[in-house]
Amino acid sequence: MVAKKKKKYSSGEGAQFITRKAALKKLQLTLKDFRRICILKGIYPREPRNRKRAQKGAGGIKTLYHTKDIKFLLHEPIIWKLRELKVFQQKIRKARAMREYQKMKKYFRDYPEINIDHIVKERYPTFIDALRDLDDCLTLCFLFSTFPSLKKVPPDQSLLCRRLTVEFMHAVIAAKALRKVFVSVKGYYYQAELEGQTITWIVPHHFSFQPQSKDEVDFKIMSTFVEFYIMMLGFVNFKLYHSLNLVYPPKLTAAFNADADKDLVDERAYVAERIAAMNISVAKIAGANEVEELPEIDIFNTEDTDPQKLEEAKLEAEKVKKLKTMFKGLKFFINREVPREPLVFIIRCFGGEVSWDRDHFVGATFDESDESIAYQIVDRPRMDKQYLSRYYIQPQWVFDSVNARTLLPINKYLMGAVLPPHLSPFVDKTKDQVYIPPEERELNDPNFKPLNEDDASDEDIEEASDEDNEEKEEDSEDAEAVLTKQYQQEVEQDSQSEESEDDIDPQKKKIAKEKKKAMAVTTGVTHKEHPYQKEIEDKQAFRLREKLVRKKHRNLYKSMKAGQEKRKKEIWLLRKKRRLHDEKVKEDKKAKKQKQKMQMLEAASS
Amino acid sequence: MTAIKKKKRVSKKSKTAWRKYSDINDVEEFLEDQRLEERLGKFDTKPDEELFVLDTHGDDKPEEKPDVKPEIKPLSAKQRKRALLSETPKCFEVLLPTSKVQDPNAKRNHVKPVGSKPSDLSKITKQRKLVKGVLAKKVEDIKKNKKIVAERRKKIKSIRKTYDKNIWGDDVLEAKSIPETLVDEFISPEAQLHNVPTTKRLRSKPALPKSVVTRKSVEVPHPGVSYNPSFKEHQELLQEVVQHEQKMMKREAHLHRVTTGMFSKVTPKEKENQWREEMSAGLPQPHDPTTDPDSEPSDNEYKAINPPVKNKKKDHKARRKQRERIAERERLKQEKINKKKITDIYKLRKIQSSLANKEKLSAELRSKRATKRAAREATAPPALSARKPPAREPEFVDPEQLTGDLRNLSNTTNLLKERFESLQRRGALAASKIMMKKKRKLKSYFKSGHKVTEKDIERYVNRDVGKK
Repeated sequence: MVAKKKKKYSSGEGAQFITRKAALKKLQLTLKDFRRICILKGIYPREPRNRKRAQKGAGGIKTLYHTKDIKFLLHEPIIWKLRELKVFQQKIRKARAMREYQKMKKYFRDYPEINIDHIVKERYPTFIDALRDLDDCLTLCFLFSTFPSLKKVPPDQSLLCRRLTVEFMHAVIAAKALRKVFVSVKGYYYQAELEGQTITWIVPHHFSFQPQSKDEVDFKIMSTFVEFYIMMLGFVNFKLYHSLNLVYPPKLTAAFNADADKDLVDERAYVAERIAAMNISVAKIAGANEVEELPEIDIFNTEDTDPQKLEEAKLEAEKVKKLKTMFKGLKFFINREVPREPLVFIIRCFGGEVSWDRDHFVGATFDESDESIAYQIVDRPRMDKQYLSRYYIQPQWVFDSVNARTLLPINKYLMGAVLPPHLSPFVDKTKDQVYIPPEERELNDPNFKPLNEDDASDEDIEEASDEDNEEKEEDSEDAEAVLTKQYQQEVEQDSQSEESEDDIDPQKKKIAKEKKKAMAVTTGVTHKEHPYQKEIEDKQAFRLREKLVRKKHRNLYKSMKAGQEKRKKEIWLLRKKRRLHDEKVKEDKKAKKQKQKMQMLEAASS
Repeated sequence: MTAIKKKKRVSKKSKTAWRKYSDINDVEEFLEDQRLEERLGKFDTKPDEELFVLDTHGDDKPEEKPDVKPEIKPLSAKQRKRALLSETPKCFEVLLPTSKVQDPNAKRNHVKPVGSKPSDLSKITKQRKLVKGVLAKKVEDIKKNKKIVAERRKKIKSIRKTYDKNIWGDDVLEAKSIPETLVDEFISPEAQLHNVPTTKRLRSKPALPKSVVTRKSVEVPHPGVSYNPSFKEHQELLQEVVQHEQKMMKREAHLHRVTTGMFSKVTPKEKENQWREEMSAGLPQPHDPTTDPDSEPSDNEYKAINPPVKNKKKDHKARRKQRERIAERERLKQEKINKKKITDIYKLRKIQSSLANKEKLSAELRSKRATKRAAREATAPPALSARKPPAREPEFVDPEQLTGDLRNLSNTTNLLKERFESLQRRGALAASKIMMKKKRKLKSYFKSGHKVTEKDIERYVNRDVGKK
């Protein structure tokens, strides 16, 4: 017998993929339901390696799915729910057409809801997985929280988004997890660090709702995404609150109760409520302590014990620790023209206290007349009534301070001042081998000394950090030397005093003296490290290590090194040019001044 | 000799012959029996009493006994009627099945039983109950139950919004739908998984597409999109925008060149002429003396436009010469090759170096191509449907719109659209065109009786005038 001929595309890539139409047929779902279940279950269309084969010889570009994905969907109990829903939809449609509104209402009341919490667990087996995928979720939820009830969006969705986002912000405040803020024209970029995961999200600026043009975005699809994200964010919030020893759900203001939703029709009143909700602290679980501060970084003997890296990590940790309590004990008052939501969130994240005008918005905690207010945030050129006890600053100071991780000097941010540019904290730190003019460096690094203040600092700038370190080392060495000297002196004094005390028996004394001589300890010489010698040794060791670079990577390494050298040289050259230019300018200035002086003198004398 | 009865041999070749001569009496008898059995019931299922009678008096005749009737109270007419009530009426007995054959239609439509319609009696009892208050209580109960059910339903619905459980607890095994009895630390995971019923076993989901996993959902913004950007960063962003725009313009120009620009413009008159020319091709033209070929002095001889080719044979000499020429050419070629062979030995190093160079160059090119391809793959929008997802456009704000303070910020970008396109660019959604429902165009017209014409208006106006 001849073996049966293998059918084409029954194995390999042809069998691996399935078109959307075939998938619909296999699952017996409508396109609408299929889209929904795919979004909920996290099943995405695929791009095959060989399209012709994957489409079983058919031309064009079809939407393909993995066959295994579709088989996986087959086992989903939700599919049965969807079919049930279909019956309901038919009933509702019929009732509407027959104008039996009573019936329709009843069907709407009994409309079954799909429970998808098991899908959250299935898609994100661990909490960390969920956190890692939170960017999109948060951005969409924040966006939907600004929407009124729309035609294609379920009525409770935007309400739920509002509640969950406020809850999440409370969690971030309690965990002090916010790290970076960036105000762009699109919205506020926030970056938080939760459980070691960096989460970035965008919160749109507060504008009144603008109707979307219908053919741009499919609201139905987006609302399905949000449906899943709401579920996910809810459970993430629950877990976060519990890990922070907070009570979940938190008691927020009345606006966030499900019953009261109809009372708040006014958009502005709602926004005010939301901000007020953010200004109250959430209840802690009874008997729970404060969340312990993370201990300092332990040093483990891992394989690459690069002291520099460790040092960097330590510095970073130190900075973050400082950042967390940056605004602690400071009171802020926000003027009414300033967007309050981001500021309240940020200030409370770093331990500050916020309030605003009691007459205009709800939820104010203290009045403007409070003398303990440290900063008042204003966004107007001048004010009639000003308090002497506080600084009047513009909102950008808060954002820039957070990104700089210290309280910046306020002189550039005072009321009415022209603001320095708001720089992005998200720039790649690895691209540090570029020339930065001193003006810009001053912007980025508050500790940096601008070069035109004193001449001595001019040269320091060139080798910024290296020299500093060395200086420190020398200092410490000096200190050690001083200490040893002191110790020796003390010891000598002691021995002298002993001598003076017991000069009773000369013989004994003699013996003692001899003994002492035998036991005498000569002053040791401290082992002195020659920094230059050490440098040479280090260099040699480095060269040896360089030799160990594999042949495969050698060329890459070489080109990398060459590039570094080149960039270093460029930087050096530009700095030199700048220095020469500055010196020239200075001299010119001096000469001019002198000339003026001379002229003045001449004028005076004549 | 006994006469041997000749067996009659019959051909049963055809179907009809087979039917004619084969004896099927026994089969038919059996079938008849079976049908009877079906109709009357099987013998072996019937009780003995029904089949047999115990013979107690043998052949002798039974004695005539004086007919002594038992004392039964005669029923009254009413009682008789009552007794008859439960029996099926005689007239309907015909309709009842007599045979024991089972109904082939196992699921007959339900017919409302007798008595489901309220009778006079039931009406009376109902009235009595209503008066007594039994029904009112029942109604109350129903209301209460309904309320409970509605409350429960509401509660179930609101569970969705409470999120009152930690789904990332330690009940990992339950999530894999392993039966509770097996969730024990003493049972090895292999055994646990082995005992999951096949219907409950989770199919492993294949890994997510690469583009969904690797591409960032919230991209790091360019520092130039700050609401108060530094001049340098803003300029950088501007450069990006310019480059993007230039690329687009170039593309548009190209498209124009290869489509619209390919066709030269013609005036309508020229077009008409062209058309006339094309349409009249091959038709007999009126004689035009100007287009006549220059008339040569014809020698009255017929001349074809393409005269036939003559097969002129080469003679021996020509052939020899040709052969010699070919041989000479071949010899020279060989000589050249041989000479090159010798010189190449001396050129070996040069050849080697050139080869090495070539290889190096090609390797470099290959690596370049590979990196380029990788970079393109990392950012290219996935082809998931016939439509391409829109390319990412750099966000840019006109410097005039940049006020540098939060108060006067203007809304320039649509975040929802950006999210939607980001999903498409990541491959989470196949790009598609949103199909808009077309509004039905309604044709409006006047009903003929309701049409208002000029005349009508005039008449209306005149009527008012006439009244006065």
